[in-house]
Amino acid sequence: MTMTLFLQSILAGLTNGFVYGLIGLGIAVVFRGARIINAMQGDFALLGSVVAYVVSTRLGVPMLPAFLTGVLAGGVLGLLVERLLIRPTEKRAGTEDSYLLVTLGGAFAVSAAVLLYFGRDSYVLNGIGGDASVDVLDAAIRVHAVWLIVISSVVVLALKLFYGHTRVGQAMLAASIDVDGSLTIGINVPLMRTLTFVTGGLMGGLAGVLVAPLINIHYEMGLLLTLKGFAAAILGGLISPVGAMFGGVLLGLVESLAVASVSSGYKDVITMVILILIMILMPQGLLGRRGRQGG
Amino acid sequence: MSRGQDVFLGIACAAAVATLVSASPIRAQTAQGEPIKIGAVVSLTGPGAGLGQPERNGMLLAEKDVNDKGGVRGRPIKILVEDDGSKADNAKNKAEQLIFDEKVVTILGPSLTASTGAVSAMTNSEGMAELAFTGLGPKIELSYKSLYHLLPPQELNARAMLEYTTKALNSKKIGVLHDTGYGQVVTNALNALKAQYGVEFVAVEKFEVGATDASAQAAKVRAADPDVVFIIATSPVPFRNARQVRISQPIVSAIGSSSYDYVRGMGEFADDIVFPEFLVGEDPLPHQVEFVKKYREAYNALPKNYEAAGWDAVHIIAKAVETAGPDAKREEIAKALRGPYAGVFAAYNFAADDMTGIQLSSYVYSKLVKGAFIRLPFVAK
Repeated sequence: MTMTLFLQSILAGLTNGFVYGLIGLGIAVVFRGARIINAMQGDFALLGSVVAYVVSTRLGVPMLPAFLTGVLAGGVLGLLVERLLIRPTEKRAGTEDSYLLVTLGGAFAVSAAVLLYFGRDSYVLNGIGGDASVDVLDAAIRVHAVWLIVISSVVVLALKLFYGHTRVGQAMLAASIDVDGSLTIGINVPLMRTLTFVTGGLMGGLAGVLVAPLINIHYEMGLLLTLKGFAAAILGGLISPVGAMFGGVLLGLVESLAVASVSSGYKDVITMVILILIMILMPQGLLGRRGRQGG
Repeated sequence: MSRGQDVFLGIACAAAVATLVSASPIRAQTAQGEPIKIGAVVSLTGPGAGLGQPERNGMLLAEKDVNDKGGVRGRPIKILVEDDGSKADNAKNKAEQLIFDEKVVTILGPSLTASTGAVSAMTNSEGMAELAFTGLGPKIELSYKSLYHLLPPQELNARAMLEYTTKALNSKKIGVLHDTGYGQVVTNALNALKAQYGVEFVAVEKFEVGATDASAQAAKVRAADPDVVFIIATSPVPFRNARQVRISQPIVSAIGSSSYDYVRGMGEFADDIVFPEFLVGEDPLPHQVEFVKKYREAYNALPKNYEAAGWDAVHIIAKAVETAGPDAKREEIAKALRGPYAGVFAAYNFAADDMTGIQLSSYVYSKLVKGAFIRLPFVAK
């Protein structure tokens, strides 16, 4: 393996890894606050990217406000999911399987709606810096990918501070850990759950506007992203947003280094073997135990 | 001349014009009577929709064209289009309905190889002609006497790529980047031909269908220092990744990657990519001009290969029914198809062993230059 190939693999792995981690981050946020596995996380991203595309391309709004609109759209969808899908399921004494199925159904519905209104074509969302790239010795990484990594890192740190050092963040954690105890001390548990899904939706919307310029917007993009994000979240410890990002980056690097060092044909085999070994040795995920302890 | 005479002259002129119009050849050629029903099973939804929808557009345009010109022996044709959802079992069910309930004279489609297999077993047992929008598939298809193919086999697509690479680019060292679906099928065909063309695949890297990034694989292809890079995928992602990791060599792709949808997705990287295909809407061959003009008027868009195949399918069947007669049995129509047909998409010969007869000479080579297709002068022989 040449140095150029190694460097390019690292850059590709980091790019993909942060993509997986962004989706995993949203899954972990929702699970941490509501103990629900949200199969719609990738579709929060899909909606965010679609809204950003419509606002920027068809309405001519500049990039930053268009991106913010996409992020907010994810948050709104998160709110609607909690009110229209999660609460009714909870009232009917839904189990873990029920929540998973209902969010899976929601994922298919969002995908179908995008297919109906936008068709099966792919759409290009312009990224930060357009198609420009940065040279790292003889390797290259898109300017937008660099921004994706930077923004994702900032968001992860911000979430850590939010959960660890703000009243609302700690109330959200408390509401998910012990509902009765939280009610006793006056925490508005239903509101905390709503905030959890709104936060998850905002994370999804952010993922959508950051990821879409790299992969193109397509109606099937949501479920594909959810699967990758889920792997990242499981690897990192489902309860830890930091762990999900860490898991995503590890997954991305393992994949790209497997391609570069062995063969693209064996990429999935090598990646899955390593993941299985990690899950056997560390069943809580890489940072899952620390997450439960409030990290 | 008096005012009354003026009025009389005007009325007489109007009556003369009305008489001429009512006796015009156009109105005399309007197709009338019981329509001749032609069934079509294509993938309008699901993964094959990128094939089925253009095929449907071409078929419906051709239906209008045939009927506007007087139909088949004065009778209109009616294309009954069904969606198989890209699933073989659905294709079989839809074909059953068309054959036994609607009593269609023939079946056009399906769009996918697995669906063709499911439908052709039925049409073969009925002795009915089937014009599939697929290339020759499993060997059993050779035993079917009335299954005809409108698209070339993958072996021919692979040859077309190698012809251009070895004869126009004079290159022997090739790097291949392909997806695990369509790309794998074409790569298998390429592997079977590489010895014959004396080429070496210095790198063969694959990525899964729907992958969000293939830059690691692209970097590995670049590191092998090929003269030419083959990218075969149903996604614009690897084309972008290839240029982003500084692959500067010419890229040759396959017909399945040449859609306008993918070109849009490539963004500024839709440049210096060659496709062996059959129709370049921006610069059609003389026998394709009329079809391109009519398609553009009807749909306000340029057609590509699958639209042309749909157009040809209907005209081929119309000609066969014209020959055999509108009340001919299905077997007679199937028999009337066996022979050459100069289509818009390709020059066919349905009497050939592969039930297609498409030759390398039917390929038209296009090159993407800054997002627009231009037709290359190269002709494969």
